[in-house]
Amino acid sequence: MFEIDMIFAFALFSVGLYGISSNRDFLRIFFSLEMLMNAVILMLASSAHYLGLSQNISFAYMIMILATLEAAVGILIFAAAHKFTKVVIADDLGAQK
Amino acid sequence: MNIALLTIALVLAITSLSVKQSIASLISFALMMLVLGLYYIGLDEKLLGLFQIFIYTGGIAVLMLFGITLIGREFPKTTKSSWSAVVSFGVFVLMSALFLTNRSLLATNVPEIVEKKEMFATSFSDVVILFALIGVSLLYGTIKMINALKPKRSRDV
Repeated sequence: MFEIDMIFAFALFSVGLYGISSNRDFLRIFFSLEMLMNAVILMLASSAHYLGLSQNISFAYMIMILATLEAAVGILIFAAAHKFTKVVIADDLGAQK
Repeated sequence: MNIALLTIALVLAITSLSVKQSIASLISFALMMLVLGLYYIGLDEKLLGLFQIFIYTGGIAVLMLFGITLIGREFPKTTKSSWSAVVSFGVFVLMSALFLTNRSLLATNVPEIVEKKEMFATSFSDVVILFALIGVSLLYGTIKMINALKPKRSRDV
């Protein structure tokens, strides 16, 4: 059962990696980042449950708080960039200098 | 049951990245987080599951909704690089192979349970600090977002 959980976590990580590398708009990049972090949280939670490594849950909480901060600051940067440059695609932001 | 929940979460993750409509993408993203939270509750990590549901399905989904007000109903059309699917599949195969070949090391080196699962049972102040950090960061992002969305006042009044 632990192996299946880890395989699913790897699959979720790969989906997030695909989303980051293939998409160019800000919102989908945020979705993919959250997926990457959730894959790591899934790995930590399943290892804590099946292997008895209960300290991993503390790391999972820490990653969750970091993900919240990252989402709040990232959306703020996106809103500021959109306000001044009307850009919603990350690649176009460099051309607006 | 657990495999079904994880399969649903994976399908919802792929859906949220492949759908063109932004609202449908956000809904599938929030549902994926909800399913993962239910899975953690099923793993007997109830507080982690509740955190997952409150933070991701509640907080971050609303922040993303603010972002959708800027983008519109549909995501902008962009060119997708062809190598990204191959690379991400390769990473998946590599991680799975590394894990399955070294699985026996994990099974033999399992330490005894160091501490009991009473991390937040003794002092609720830890929970309060965690919730305060998360709430403050979400509130900060929301307020700044609202300020950024406000139209500029004309200065010649």
